[in-house]
Amino acid sequence: MSGPAGYIGASASITAEDVPALYEGAKFYSPAVGDANRSSITSWLAGLLDRNGPVPLLRVEAVAPETPCVSVCVLGSGSAMADLPPAGDEFEMAVRQIERLQRVEFGAVYPLAAATISALVAVVTAAQLRVPLLDADGMGRTFALIHHTAMHLSGVSPTPLAAVGPTGESVLVEVPAGPRADRMLRANVDTVGGWAALAAYPTTAGVLRRAALPGTVSRIANVGRLLLDRTDPDVLVTRLGTITGCRRLARGRIAELEHLSRPSDVTIPAHPSSLVVEETGGLGRQLRIELRSEIVAVFADGALIAGAPDLIGLLDVSRGVLATLDSLEPGDLVDVLVTPADAVWYSPRGMEMVGMASHGIPLAHPRRR
Amino acid sequence: MRRTSTLSITLGELARIQPLAGAESHLADPSRKVEQVVLAETFDRLRRCTPHVLVVLHDEAATGGWSLAAALHLAWERNLSAVVVSRTVAGGASVALAERLHMSLIVIDDDPIDIALQLAGQVSAPAAARALRQARLAEQLAEQTGIRGVLGVLNRELQHVPVALVVGGVVVAGQSAALTDRPQVRQLEVEVHAPGERSAARLIAAVPLPGPAAVDQVESLLRLARPSLQAAWAQSRLDTATRAAHEQAAFGLLRRLPQASSGEAAEIEVPAWTSELGWQVGEANRAVWLAPLRPSGEPPAEITYLIRASWQRGHSTWPLVAEGDGWISWHSGTDPDDVTALRRALAGFRDSAVAHRLAIGIGRAHPGVGGLMRSVAEARLAAHVAREGGPGAVQWFDQVGANAALAWLPTTEIAQVADLCLEDLMAAKDRAALVQTVLAVLDSGGSLSQASQRLGVHRNTVLARLARARQLGLTYEEPGQRLALHVLCYALTSLWSETGTEHAQPA
Repeated sequence: MSGPAGYIGASASITAEDVPALYEGAKFYSPAVGDANRSSITSWLAGLLDRNGPVPLLRVEAVAPETPCVSVCVLGSGSAMADLPPAGDEFEMAVRQIERLQRVEFGAVYPLAAATISALVAVVTAAQLRVPLLDADGMGRTFALIHHTAMHLSGVSPTPLAAVGPTGESVLVEVPAGPRADRMLRANVDTVGGWAALAAYPTTAGVLRRAALPGTVSRIANVGRLLLDRTDPDVLVTRLGTITGCRRLARGRIAELEHLSRPSDVTIPAHPSSLVVEETGGLGRQLRIELRSEIVAVFADGALIAGAPDLIGLLDVSRGVLATLDSLEPGDLVDVLVTPADAVWYSPRGMEMVGMASHGIPLAHPRRR
Repeated sequence: MRRTSTLSITLGELARIQPLAGAESHLADPSRKVEQVVLAETFDRLRRCTPHVLVVLHDEAATGGWSLAAALHLAWERNLSAVVVSRTVAGGASVALAERLHMSLIVIDDDPIDIALQLAGQVSAPAAARALRQARLAEQLAEQTGIRGVLGVLNRELQHVPVALVVGGVVVAGQSAALTDRPQVRQLEVEVHAPGERSAARLIAAVPLPGPAAVDQVESLLRLARPSLQAAWAQSRLDTATRAAHEQAAFGLLRRLPQASSGEAAEIEVPAWTSELGWQVGEANRAVWLAPLRPSGEPPAEITYLIRASWQRGHSTWPLVAEGDGWISWHSGTDPDDVTALRRALAGFRDSAVAHRLAIGIGRAHPGVGGLMRSVAEARLAAHVAREGGPGAVQWFDQVGANAALAWLPTTEIAQVADLCLEDLMAAKDRAALVQTVLAVLDSGGSLSQASQRLGVHRNTVLARLARARQLGLTYEEPGQRLALHVLCYALTSLWSETGTEHAQPA
């Protein structure tokens, strides 16, 4: 790649060659996710794009305001998806159900979160439905619950939504209050196969112009290209910084993995644990990294230096790749990277929803002190 | 009311009494004062703490490793004294962070609320807490029966305050660091009198300054230790028979040390068990050998007891070891030329020496264990020489020289040789005068005038006696026999003068 990474742009499209970069970039924005179904999902998507042709990637402004749009994502655990792979029509079925319910035909698809497999399945869905993909999403990274979106903050309801499992069974949910939808869905996800294809937030492009986070799909493609480049970690961090605003908090060696440091929280589906990293060089600080379903806080010598909704990731320095949280071992040399989330998450309502307090850490965010 | 009652209690003091005595303490600075105890449920409460507060984490503020890390950081920011937290929260990394921030961390197993309440009570009444601590120390001291044990308890209790028991400038037990002069340290002394002793031992503690409540506290703790020390002393004096055996065995062990160590110049470290006996092996060790005029094998235990009683009068730390045909003692000090204490002791012992018919030899001063052994050998030699001087005689090795060799001659056996080889001479009536004259001539290197002067007789008399001696077999002029005859004459003369059986009659 020559020169600084550029914006793919409204007229660009996603081809089979972009799939590896999309996958890597999506991983950057959801560092907790493992690589369990990497090859199956990427080869599936690449095959689709080869057969159906490239998927157009459009800026929201480039689409007529009245165009109906719907978001898709994967609900449930990634490892369940690896155990019970998609039959292939789940996402299309989910979208079709809402089309039938609302008697509309969606003119564009967008990812609920431009991260994890959800970013890829949005491309899959767009390819299957032969509609463009919007260069926007609802989270700009991943959060745990489906109402943790910019759309929800702008008053767009997630329902009606449809969840289709690999068993072919589906759930249709309609709730007046958005947060209730997640609860109802989680109760059903196990039953329909451990994961489900979700179609939600049916709205129009006009609403999305103000409610969605723009440019997030092209961003993961660009980030993914950088990550695939396999350069020196220092260069990589600098390059990532120009695209994502990420910076290195510290470089250190993992000293200790503490599990279950506090009783599990019922609302966030994850086991809390923490990671102790001894900073090499610099001040030699002791970093404590708190893990839930993602990294939610970083303490340096006990002082909070980064926390949710910041996106915090670990870069395996010796291999120059992102470290997934299930692959960490004491002795690993890691860079602790922090990337600011989209601005909407630092608003009072955003912080209330996805800030550290939601993970049981009642401390003021370092950006707000 | 003593001044101590108004001083804040320190972290070190709190950690010594229940409930924290049973906790796992990682104290960065035990001398930190604790002015208040705060039970913190939230981080807001932590932020409102004032310096010198001991904070007990609870509830929200103790939800995991991260909360302890954040609390430690806040405590560091707020200059708090210590953080107390339940064991479920504290891991190895937390301890490491506490050390990094130089913040005291105490890990408890009990309910934080109970602990906080108890601590609050202790902090609000420091005098009561100190009394509790003293009572606990008194209990521990009472359990100790040895001097080293007592000093061990003191040094364990008074962390960062080295304590030593000193007798005459020499550390008998404890940490010698107490004696070194350092800035910001005040030395504290408490006299300890052994029962019926003139010379006193001193407990010396080096108290770092400025340390809150330290000096008064330490002094009262040292005073507490006094009876235990006296008891330990008395105990060790009580069973003299055991003690004699103990000392004898210990001295044997000490003697083998220089042989065991290969390097000749290598300094042999003084074993710690010597201090338990009250022995000192210092920079200058001067040995004393108390020898009976007529050695008759191992002295009976009763004699050893009597000798010990009079020798150790006023010098309880001076050892007395029964060894072969006498007793070994020694005096240690820093100045090898300082013999005033020894001279005074000898003067005091003179009557006993005469009564028990003892001669006393004194070695030179040498450093270390090896030096002590050398001094013992010298003293023994000097004691043999001293025997010539009769009961109560004192011989300093410095003044003996080569003559010491003569003291070792087995005069009795040599005299028996004379009976066999010089039959004629031994049969003569005037044998004593003859032998004495030949000895005088030989001593004078053959000079008749000198010999006659020494004997107080006319030169012709000397000549006449020599002629007669030659006739009787004392052919002293023959070079091959001269040494043998010289020794013979010496042995006979000293034997006769000792027994008083023969008197040379002036002709």
